[in-house]
Amino acid sequence: MSARIAVVLFPGTNSEDETLRLLRDCGGDAELVHWSRPAELRDFDAYVLPGGFAYEDRIRAGAIAAHDPAMDEVIAGAQRGKLVLGICNGAQILLEAGLVPGTAPARRPTAAFTHNGPIPHFVCRHVYVKLAIDPSRCAITRALSPAAIIPAWTANGEGRLAATPEHLDEIAGGGHLAFVYAHADGRVDARANPNESARGCAGLVNREGNVLALMPHPERDAWNFNHLDRPAGADPLTPSGGAELFRSFVAAVRA
Amino acid sequence: MRPAAAAIGLRIPDNAAYTALVTLRRLGIAVERLERNEIWVFDDDGDPATLASRVEANETVFNPNKHRLALLESTAPRAGEAWIGELDAHDEVREHLGGKGIEGIRRARRYVAWRLFDRHGSPAARETVAAAVNRLLCNPAIEEAIF
Repeated sequence: MSARIAVVLFPGTNSEDETLRLLRDCGGDAELVHWSRPAELRDFDAYVLPGGFAYEDRIRAGAIAAHDPAMDEVIAGAQRGKLVLGICNGAQILLEAGLVPGTAPARRPTAAFTHNGPIPHFVCRHVYVKLAIDPSRCAITRALSPAAIIPAWTANGEGRLAATPEHLDEIAGGGHLAFVYAHADGRVDARANPNESARGCAGLVNREGNVLALMPHPERDAWNFNHLDRPAGADPLTPSGGAELFRSFVAAVRA
Repeated sequence: MRPAAAAIGLRIPDNAAYTALVTLRRLGIAVERLERNEIWVFDDDGDPATLASRVEANETVFNPNKHRLALLESTAPRAGEAWIGELDAHDEVREHLGGKGIEGIRRARRYVAWRLFDRHGSPAARETVAAAVNRLLCNPAIEEAIF
């Protein structure tokens, strides 16, 4: 079965090329789709929102893009069960669009990935994220191993999950906490968390399990040449751990 | 200690305000014009007559090439205006105003002010401001709105 995946571009998006390349390497029939052609998005089976600074993060990160006509199509598709993966700024857009954690109507955000702690600086750091839900809870993670460890790069100034304490309980209790920051060996503690994200959150999934918002960039650790822990002498073009998530995503779209 | 408020706006075209205006109209909210200012509410121990010049001398918050500053008569929003502040923002002067701070200012609280005007050029009605706040300008998970 084909797996037509749209990589949605907004003004200010970045990382779209490595996202597209990785999707294709994983067997996906992926294309870049410009925000000015929203009607074309209807024909795709799944969507990926890459990182960057859509609309210069005007008002708030992701706020303007969440109301863009292109997101009308993404929201409608998600509500029909299409798979949606947002990475970094794409994840922020999904929160502003209310698709994750998805406990309120669309475009009524209940949480945010906001200014990093303890000081609100841009953080660029190699990290590991650990699958914190049963792989089958989210279609996009279904092909991953339980408690899978995915290497990635965090590169943002606003990646800290914030919400009211009550809503954080709802997020955790409702199985929305898809990925948490961890060490390479799977240990989870505060030192693994690069920005004081609440509950150590690196990624959120909606109730239906078809929309995943992930703050760090697995597509930037998808080949050995951008993997810090690669063995000496390893082929730089061999896929590295970040590709696992994309393989699972493409497999889910093709299923 | 005397509370004081200053509005710092752009003297160059405000692209962010224009983008917000287009988006609000797309949401069906009747706004003809939208002004954006950065609002600073200070606890100031200094000479009131020199407050503007003291703030303008801090290059962390004020760039004379693109900003204009106005001292406000009130520390509350005007008609048609909403102030959006971050819920967990720190109000320490050094964090907001750079390492040297501003002489006389002990604390500072930052807001983004959005002032909406209707097609008659009057400040927008409160319900219009509320709709703009609830649908776009404020994420209640991380921000508070005063209007």
